[in-house]
Amino acid sequence: MKRAGEFPSSIAASRVATLLRNIRTFKALLRMVHTLVKPTSDAHTLTIPAPLIKVACTQLERMEGMDGAKVVVLLTPQLMYFQRPHTNVKRLAVRVQRFIPEATFPPRLGFIELPYSQGPSLFTNLVIYHEIGHFVYEELSGQSNGTSPVDALESARTECLEAFPELQAEPDIRALAEEMVESWTQEIFCDLFALRLVGPAFTFALVEILAMLDSLSRKRTITFDQEHPAPACRFGEHVKLLREDGWWEKISHISPEQKMLVERLADIPSTDYKVDEGPEYLLAPFLDKVIPAVRALVRQVAPEAAPLAEKFAEERRTIEECLGVGVVPHTNPPTAALNPVSIINSAFCFYLTSFPSVVTKFEGENVENNVEIRSKWTKKLEDWTMKAIEDSQVRTQFEGMQTDGPSKERNSPPDAQPAGR
Amino acid sequence: MVLPKKEILHRMRNLPVGDPQNLVITPLLYRKEKDRDIFDAESIDLRLGCYFLLPKTLDQPYFSPDKRSATSLHVKVHVPLGEFLVVPAHQTILGATLEFIKLPSDVCGEVLTKSSVARTFVVVETAPWIHPQYRGCLTLEIANVSNTPVLLYPGRLICQLVLMHVKEDAAVVPTQPTGAVVPILKT
Repeated sequence: MKRAGEFPSSIAASRVATLLRNIRTFKALLRMVHTLVKPTSDAHTLTIPAPLIKVACTQLERMEGMDGAKVVVLLTPQLMYFQRPHTNVKRLAVRVQRFIPEATFPPRLGFIELPYSQGPSLFTNLVIYHEIGHFVYEELSGQSNGTSPVDALESARTECLEAFPELQAEPDIRALAEEMVESWTQEIFCDLFALRLVGPAFTFALVEILAMLDSLSRKRTITFDQEHPAPACRFGEHVKLLREDGWWEKISHISPEQKMLVERLADIPSTDYKVDEGPEYLLAPFLDKVIPAVRALVRQVAPEAAPLAEKFAEERRTIEECLGVGVVPHTNPPTAALNPVSIINSAFCFYLTSFPSVVTKFEGENVENNVEIRSKWTKKLEDWTMKAIEDSQVRTQFEGMQTDGPSKERNSPPDAQPAGR
Repeated sequence: MVLPKKEILHRMRNLPVGDPQNLVITPLLYRKEKDRDIFDAESIDLRLGCYFLLPKTLDQPYFSPDKRSATSLHVKVHVPLGEFLVVPAHQTILGATLEFIKLPSDVCGEVLTKSSVARTFVVVETAPWIHPQYRGCLTLEIANVSNTPVLLYPGRLICQLVLMHVKEDAAVVPTQPTGAVVPILKT
């Protein structure tokens, strides 16, 4: 920087200023490399649910308007899941590319943070889908042009706020109200988006996480805070969508505590909802105007869920039989790959209902409440499930290789385009 | 008696997964028109999995086989299908088979390096015996005994599994099924 300030006077002052700006941008990029990219490149060597993330990325890439979308995972020491807003990162990358044309940045790259403590687990990490929803929402918001899918939602939100003339007179309260409605909208969108992609397993995972965060006490279940809608409202929306998509009927054979809790919360009338430190009158228009617009947006952007529910009903018994005898789920004879969403949902339903029988089978009677043993077998169950997901991906990839190219030598690498580490 | 291909396929395809005589090897990746890709008359070829344990440089000049060392000796690495891992010359790593295996109660097995792999000076498995009722992916000790680095591709055929009938039903033999799906280090 000092040297740049001492450039010969023959260089125009405006040019020096440009160079200085470029250097500052470059420094900012280097900082970003250290805070984001390096941990990301290291992450694959750490314990993260790699097969689950791959399933989520594959589903994301198949969505309309999300070509080439990728999600990378960072680990955080806090018990929180978080999508790091990426629009500013992209903006910075575009500026860098102006003076380093080769420095291209992936057009759609999301950063999601997982708690270290949850790293290797599968079931609670299903809330990654919610965070991917934040990524998609941010991408969609960037595409707003008056006719895009988010524009209808935007008008519903504006209508919700403009219903109250008193807000116009109080800019501070108006700003707070805008922020709250925006946060609630995103949260509902992300929940419904996740349900469309991964089904009721997401609902059960959210129950586990909210219980860990102590958010399921009677008072908190009906309270909207400044960022999150009340759990009762969220689960009410879950049940509605799962019923519409046919999922609820497909899991009617099970009634674990988690499912009953969700049903109880969904039955709480909306008139009982409260707002914590915010204008209470926002609730009614949010529920009446904004949520229907969110539902419509989710239906528009996320793929149909009914085929996934059907597949789950077909494959559930096979998957549960395998888990029941301590074996990675597979088809017999091995004719086709199991659907990853079926695997996830069947395994979660099995975990919620039949897990003690597996523990008893291998460890003997009266040990299912032993925390150490329970935790060991939960990990095994999650490992088998993730292995089944990975096998399904490997099988699909292998079949693609057979049809795409000439058959390979018996011991040749399975891919002709090596990329090492 | 070594189990022939017909017997292996019968146990895999015709017996339900809960049957004590059922054999599980999953995923079975082979070209439909060429079963012989992985099945020989008396053995099955197994593929290399995607998880590895790489040795770390220890801060003490020896390895003590206790619990603490067992967790600090290696770094876990996931290499997706289509990519590769470089094993430097004279280096040893732990891998696992891609296939998850459940042996019946009356069958034991042995894992052998494939001859084509051995001829590249890669040695797989020095503790090859598998007990009846074993469940899990097989942990493989993989040594590059050559003078040059070797690329290991997950998904490549790396070892052979030979299955043998145990005359007395081994169901009476107490065995603890591990169910591991990644390479594990026992102490």
